[in-house]
Amino acid sequence: MDVLQYLSIGFSVAFTPLNLGLVLAGCFFGTLIGSLPGIGPINGVAILLPLAYSIGLPPESALILLAGVYYGAEYGGRISSILLNVPGDAGAIMTTLDGYPMAKRGEGGRALALSAVSSFFGSMGALLLMVIFAPLLSRLAIEFGPSEYVWLMIFAFTCLATMVGKRPIKTIVGVVIGLLLATVGIDSGTGILRFTMGIPNLFDGVDFLVVVIGMFAISEVLILLESWARNDLKMTPVGKSFITLSDMLAVKWVVLRSTLSGFLIGVLPGTGASIASAVAYGTEKRFAEGNNEHFGEGDIRGLAAPEAANNASAAGSMLPMLTLGIPGSGTTAILLGALLMFNITPGPLLFEQQPQIAWGLIASMFIGNIALLIMNLPLIGLFVRLLSIKQSYLVPIIVMLTFVGIYSIHGDTFDLFFMIVLGIFAFILRKLGFSLAPVILGLVLGEVLEENLRRALSISGGDWSILLNGTMTYILAFATVAALVAPKLIKKFKK
Amino acid sequence: MLYDRIFAGALLVLSGLIAWTAYHFDVPFQYEPLGPKAFPIILSAVLAICSVRLIVKPDANAWLPNKEILIKIVCGLVVMVAYALLFEEAGFILATTIVGSIFSWLFGEKPLKAFLYALALSLVSYFLLADLMELNVPTGLLFGDL
Repeated sequence: MDVLQYLSIGFSVAFTPLNLGLVLAGCFFGTLIGSLPGIGPINGVAILLPLAYSIGLPPESALILLAGVYYGAEYGGRISSILLNVPGDAGAIMTTLDGYPMAKRGEGGRALALSAVSSFFGSMGALLLMVIFAPLLSRLAIEFGPSEYVWLMIFAFTCLATMVGKRPIKTIVGVVIGLLLATVGIDSGTGILRFTMGIPNLFDGVDFLVVVIGMFAISEVLILLESWARNDLKMTPVGKSFITLSDMLAVKWVVLRSTLSGFLIGVLPGTGASIASAVAYGTEKRFAEGNNEHFGEGDIRGLAAPEAANNASAAGSMLPMLTLGIPGSGTTAILLGALLMFNITPGPLLFEQQPQIAWGLIASMFIGNIALLIMNLPLIGLFVRLLSIKQSYLVPIIVMLTFVGIYSIHGDTFDLFFMIVLGIFAFILRKLGFSLAPVILGLVLGEVLEENLRRALSISGGDWSILLNGTMTYILAFATVAALVAPKLIKKFKK
Repeated sequence: MLYDRIFAGALLVLSGLIAWTAYHFDVPFQYEPLGPKAFPIILSAVLAICSVRLIVKPDANAWLPNKEILIKIVCGLVVMVAYALLFEEAGFILATTIVGSIFSWLFGEKPLKAFLYALALSLVSYFLLADLMELNVPTGLLFGDL
């Protein structure tokens, strides 16, 4: 079957009433979550994941809902960046640079509309690229053996370490903590118990949902408690101005370039929206050399670039998750965990054997993006009004949802206490400058990494040289070294 | 600086414990060369190397919360632990009303308004979660015969 046939299967899945409703709901709640200052896509997906799991949705529907929340939140992140100068999450930081000055000038409406249109083209462009590359990548990945998978994961962690956060060493520590968490429970190879400390609840391993909710939602509540201040944020009025055709034409190349770079950065494992938007902004500033003195004062190019890029990276990061089972960002790591909870193993065979999941998701993203554009142009006033929701109303809802979500999985209060312990641990990690995405990535990939390493060595009878055996392993090993050295070289080159 | 060193020190101890525990796993039979011990031991080695490096070269870290903030965070934690304790016994509605009011109050709402908001929130969400979405939400001993 060719791509178009698969895509039509996808659309037939996405257009069922349930899934259509879930796309719209996901996009709506995603925009809502993204627009609330302080709560980004990763928290939104984490909080809704246990609910989606326990209502008993079929896997493709749950994935469609959660993915809708994910890219919806990437869309929504710009609203608080532009109007409040408060980015919802790291991916929206660059949007504040030119978006807020525009809003202060009374061009809030123009900034919101322009960023919505740029976001739309960013994600649509990335989706088209995904449709083209997904079958190619999954065909390539079919050739992958255990050694290739080991390298692929090492490459993912290396990318993560060299590109995320200020200190690579802290990222590695995060990954190792995640990998170690994944070893808890019954060992699949021999059946012995590892690191369970005699607690029966841990015999099955640490529950993915408990870790995600504890680390993200509970620590977020603690951070909110810490950063809460009485002075209310001042909102800049939206104003009557609106986007014009000449605005759109002025940024068309900016959007195209940013979409491409955002997509590529999204595909790279471990790197997400924050890096994509920063790279796109920097590139455009350099491209506009000689005419860039207004960057940072409300230049429409400086607004369009990060918005197109961060939405393109959201779509791009789904590609390695679906085709290789290696997530491209922290949020897709959570989506990957969600798939695994439904006993679906993402990877090259997913596209052949369960096209309704992979292609249903892709098709739903086309629908979701159109829905988001519609929601974000005429309905923008609604989301703007929701920005003024007080934290005293919001936090009780977050706390309640996390507790209900976790309790309803097993109906056991042990999970609630374990979640709080993990939340405290994650709070300490965040205060010390560790980021949490590596931990989740390690947790999701831990079992796969160990299994593939053990399988590879079983094949070779314990000979480690099997890890460098065949063209693909050389390529991946080279890519790993390149990812290790490249940032340092670039730094030197700049000087 | 100090925080990083303390944390890295704790990680170093942890990595030692992990390696020791993994080394003493009792593996009655094993078909493959690597076995269940090697992977955790490799990881603990990586963790140990990273911790030593963090101890030698820590980040300048200046997280100095004032007393008010610390009290707030501890309050939040105590309330969450209480929520976990109450959740099954007192039931969702009662527990959420109590915990919701306290959280709403911690974030600056007036006590009466916070209580009314939490009460409304718990009643509405109980209906939504338990009846509409059919989730496993405890009714509690008090409302057991509802």
